[in-house]
Amino acid sequence: MSDSESVEKNGIEVSNEYVENGTNKLIVKCKFCGSKMLDKKSGTFVKQEKDLPLMQQETGKDAEVQNEKVNEFYHVENMYTFENIGFTHTVDNYKYLSCADCDAGPVGYYDMNTKHSFVALSRINHA
Amino acid sequence: MAKKTYDLLFKLLLIGDSGVGKTCILFRFSDNHFTTTFISTIGIDFKIKTVELRGKKIKLQIWDTAGQERFHTITTSYYRGAMGIMLVYDITNEKTFDDIVKWLRNIDEHANEDVEKMILGNKCDMEEKRVISKERGEAIAHEHGIRFMETSAKLNINIDRAFSELAEAILDKSAGREADADHARIAVERRPSRAPPARACCS
Repeated sequence: MSDSESVEKNGIEVSNEYVENGTNKLIVKCKFCGSKMLDKKSGTFVKQEKDLPLMQQETGKDAEVQNEKVNEFYHVENMYTFENIGFTHTVDNYKYLSCADCDAGPVGYYDMNTKHSFVALSRINHA
Repeated sequence: MAKKTYDLLFKLLLIGDSGVGKTCILFRFSDNHFTTTFISTIGIDFKIKTVELRGKKIKLQIWDTAGQERFHTITTSYYRGAMGIMLVYDITNEKTFDDIVKWLRNIDEHANEDVEKMILGNKCDMEEKRVISKERGEAIAHEHGIRFMETSAKLNINIDRAFSELAEAILDKSAGREADADHARIAVERRPSRAPPARACCS
């Protein structure tokens, strides 16, 4: 994951139907088991390009981690804002976020330097 | 967003011999219909779970030992700030049960003296391999004045209930105090240092 991109706050003009006044309009839930991760309006919508490891890795492909580019995140400053979430062990100064109930993930990452978390919109459900 | 979204924060630890299922209690990944190889390879450090007890919204931060118990290196740094401890044994393994007493001593030595404890007899789904009766589990818990429950991380039996009960016990204990969230907000954002332990402490 590269650090080069700065976190750019997205204004009110949001193309995303799930974002209102810059935050998540709906509850953020696990795609697989429905576990509640974030309450309404508790994450700030940000656009930034990050490589995030795929939730399902192909096996037998050496130790190479397969990533995809993710552009839309909810920024969560305090980890205790999460309702339910798992944090992995640290890899290169990042922890990855996973569902606290079924362990699906990564649904985002936690930056050890800033202590801020970022949840990928594409990895969660809104409800 | 600066608004506090919870009332209390409790740091909880899982303690016990290797192989008793502590990691499974924290990391449920088993018969899910998808493969989270990435997460399972790296492993879970801790989880944050929210429970509501008596109208209070409580955040539980639950830590695994990450295998430190194998080397008997659970020391003060791991226990720091812990308000509750789940002491886990495996009902199919006599030694893990016998070691509960060692772990209790270790806790006495290193943890805060008013830490709330609970004993869990895990793997209660493996009835045919059971060697520790539920009565023996209850007896040792009673002897030390600790709560007890049998659990199955695999079948998800009593896991959430155990955490709720432990949280409730902590809540009872802190009821007399003016415990606001800032007071409970302990420095837990970093894993305790992995500095070499001063001594082996539970052998």
